[in-house]
Parts: sequence; structure tokens; C-alpha cells
Amino acid sequence: VTGSATYLYAVTRPLPPDRRPDLRGVGGTPVRWVEDGGLAGLVSTVDLAEFGQDALAAHLEDLAWLERTAREHDEIVQASARLTTTLPLRLATICTDDDSARDRLRRLGGRALALLDRLDGREEWGVKLFATATAPPVPETAGAATGTAYLQQRRRQLVQRDVAADTAVRAADEVYTRLVGVAVDARRHRPQDQRLTGAPLPMVLNAAFLVDRDRFDDFRSAVAELAAARPPDSVVLTGPWPPYSFAALEES
Amino acid sequence: VTTVAPTAPPASGPPVQAASLVDLLDRLLGVGVVLSGDVTICLAGVDLVTVKLRALVTSVKEAGP
Repeated sequence: VTGSATYLYAVTRPLPPDRRPDLRGVGGTPVRWVEDGGLAGLVSTVDLAEFGQDALAAHLEDLAWLERTAREHDEIVQASARLTTTLPLRLATICTDDDSARDRLRRLGGRALALLDRLDGREEWGVKLFATATAPPVPETAGAATGTAYLQQRRRQLVQRDVAADTAVRAADEVYTRLVGVAVDARRHRPQDQRLTGAPLPMVLNAAFLVDRDRFDDFRSAVAELAAARPPDSVVLTGPWPPYSFAALEES
Repeated sequence: VTTVAPTAPPASGPPVQAASLVDLLDRLLGVGVVLSGDVTICLAGVDLVTVKLRALVTSVKEAGP
């Protein structure tokens, strides 16, 4: 595959040219602004040899490429969010050319503008909660002399495991509900795989909260309160994020 | 989000942690404005998540003992 395409990073309200910073997108490509439908899109020109469908599928399997591209994408979205309210797009949103990108903006139109209004003055914060107890280890069947003893032991272990699972679910719900109370909106991402977090205990809540900037102190206090009632490092706060988890906008 | 935000005042409670790659991918692959149609590339979110986890888990295993 040869030729180029237009990588679309984010959508904002139009920004006057003198307020547009000099930004570099994926692979160091210069970021440009295209406008239509009362919206602006941050774009850069990418090579289809890297971002064409087949190349992209292969690259997504390459962790180094994935990380570099995700970080570059995030840098553009963050730079934009520092200037103006920003709707981030999904990683590797590729349009055939600038006209196609403008066509997208036109079609997003009023719904994107309404979403931008809703996101004004707000930031995303991430809260992760880790379990405080694990299920007991898998039984050593050799320790059970008879079939009956084995079954009894197995039953006890299953009950203990259920209790641990219930406790985790309740803790996650408690934290989530408390923070929903000081946020404008909230989403639960899937808890991250323990192999990826490297944490000693499983993650039980992976949530994102949309918080008013001028209510952040309340949010922070609520997080502090929840953390104080739990073992160290079981509550993790990240942010502020651009509103990644709150910009979902299906195109009709 | 790799640095502590200037908007975060020194408050009690857990410090703001640097975002991990997985935190970032949760957000970049899962949500965001979804475009579809005649755009050249639009892999479904589910496919991307699967790809992501396979790539990450594979690398974790390789890096392990």
C-alpha cells in the first residue's frame, strides 16, 4: 500500500490560528487543523505503509509500536485539552484525506458541539481499587484422606472464595457510589489483568470520573477518605485526563 | 498524564500516580468519538482490545522469569 492518509486525533471548537501551537503528531508529523460544521479537527498526514489496514493490524501486535503511538496520540490530545475543551478520538482513527476528515466533522456537527458544552470546565480522573484479601490457595488433594474429607475441604474453600469475591464486589460498589456523588459522570472500565498491573492483589474497580474543576477538592477529599479506611496502595488515583472516557459519540 | 498535574493541590490521601500504558490504552482503545463508514481504518473496539491484551500479555510473559 502506498500513499498517505489523514490521522484525526481530536475534535474541538475552532481555534484562531494565532492560538494554535506547533505540535508534532505520530512519527513526528506536523499537526494541522481542519474545520467544518462549526468544529475543528486536529490532524496530521500519515503514511498508509504504516497506517493502512493491514499494516495497522500488524503494528497493533507490536508493543513498542503500540506504546509509542499511544503516547504520541495522547500528547496531542493533552496539548489540545490544555488549550480548549477537547473530544479525543480513538487511537488510529484514519481518514482517507483532509476532505474526508472535514466530512466527518460536518456529520458530527451539533452532537459534538453539545458534548463539548457538557465537558467545559471538567476533567477526567481515574480511580483504581485493589482487593485487600485473596481467595485461599487451591487445595492440595493429597491432604484429604477420603473422598468425603476432600469434598468437605473443597466446599469450605469454595465458600471462602465466594466470600472474598463478594467482599471485592461490595468494596468496588462502595467506592464507586461514594465518588459518583462528587462527580458529574462516571464509567467503569474493565479491571486490569493482574499480569499487566504486576500488583500483588487483583484489581476490583477501574473507574473514570468526570469532575468539575472547581469541585476537585471535594473529589480529592472523598478519595482520601476512602483510601484512609483501606490498606496503603489499595486506592490509586490518576489524572487529570482529557475526557477520554466521556467523549463517546456514535456517528449516525 | 505522566506527571503530577499542576491543578492537583497537595492534599491528604493517595498521591496522583503516573498513568501506566494500560491506563492509557483503557481510554484510547475503549472509548472516544467513534467514527465508522468510509474511513479507511476502523477496527472494532473489541478487536483492538483483544489485540492489545494479546500483545501486552505476550510481552509480559517474555519479560518474565
